[in-house]
Amino acid sequence: MNEAGLFAGKLVRLTAEDPETVAKPYAEWARDTEYSRYLDSNPPYTFSAKKWKEWLEKDMERENNYFFSIRTLDGNKFLGFVALFELHWQHGDTMVAIALGERDYWGKGYGTDAMNMMLRYVFTELNLRRVSLIVFEYNQRGIRSNEKNGFVIEGRTRGAMLREGKRWDFIWMGVTREEWLKIQETA
Amino acid sequence: MDNPDLLKGKLVRLTAEDPKVIAEANVRWARDSEYMRLLDSNVSAPVSAKKITEWVEKDMEKDPPPEYIFMIRALEDERLIGVIGLGGNFSPHGEAFVGIGIGERELWGKGYGTDAMRVILRYAFSELNLRRVVLDVFEYNPRAIRSYEKAGFVHEGRVRQYLHRSGQRWDLIFMGILREEWMASHPDG
Repeated sequence: MNEAGLFAGKLVRLTAEDPETVAKPYAEWARDTEYSRYLDSNPPYTFSAKKWKEWLEKDMERENNYFFSIRTLDGNKFLGFVALFELHWQHGDTMVAIALGERDYWGKGYGTDAMNMMLRYVFTELNLRRVSLIVFEYNQRGIRSNEKNGFVIEGRTRGAMLREGKRWDFIWMGVTREEWLKIQETA
Repeated sequence: MDNPDLLKGKLVRLTAEDPKVIAEANVRWARDSEYMRLLDSNVSAPVSAKKITEWVEKDMEKDPPPEYIFMIRALEDERLIGVIGLGGNFSPHGEAFVGIGIGERELWGKGYGTDAMRVILRYAFSELNLRRVVLDVFEYNPRAIRSYEKAGFVHEGRVRQYLHRSGQRWDLIFMGILREEWMASHPDG
């Protein structure tokens, strides 16, 4: 069995964090509306750090809570999170969400590395069969990053969002266990 | 996709029941110490209906359910005859523990338990998509061991002299069935 650490990649590592520690950065990042608009289809809104802490604490109580914080290997800087939701064990399927709050780290491979760590966890530790996600049509960087990790566009919810006077699709992407394993072989 | 009535067998069907119904039946059966000693390694003792009712109601609040427990009813007269369930932490290895008890002793040795076990195995493999199902059974329960063998379980090991009852020591026997084994003997699911 491969004993290489599950939680460390090339640029980042996945960690569990104290809600107290991370609530403040989450609240601050959410004030960056570009970040919020990439992450969430809800209107950007400012939540207080206190509310974030309460929400994170409650989330930790849930069954099947796979919520990791992302830190850089070099410098241990806290960058964001990657998390699973809608995990259905009997079907072996889950959704994933990722967000990097530190804009200086956008477009440099950190998100792609973190997502790859999550996929490795999902396919070799949780033994799931496929991973799905939704990315917004205007998030070209996100789409490209996902494609590097083997995600394939599976469908679109046309014009699901109305922002800045334009309609944008939700893009559904998915990657299966076999597809991801094949990429690891050739990598 | 075929849609067989997933919880119906040849002699029995598996049902969900009101917590009070579940409690009443289990309390009644628990008065039979032979039943309890075949079913459970815990010290046989009468149980209270209130305790069972509360436990069932609390379990029903959880999503997903911590266990998949069904009552067993005879098809011919809808009589409540026993209980069967899948439990344990299924993920990520895809294994469940199964337990069964036929409370109505006149129905022992007549195929009801084997039929119920076949139904729950179909549920485990074609609905929950598990990889294996495991059980334990006491050395002094040969009727059950035979029933499980008929249902496809294979002997996997023994915990020697695990039980101490009536002044004797008895082994705890582990049996398991793999998804591939079940699918090979049930090509139609």
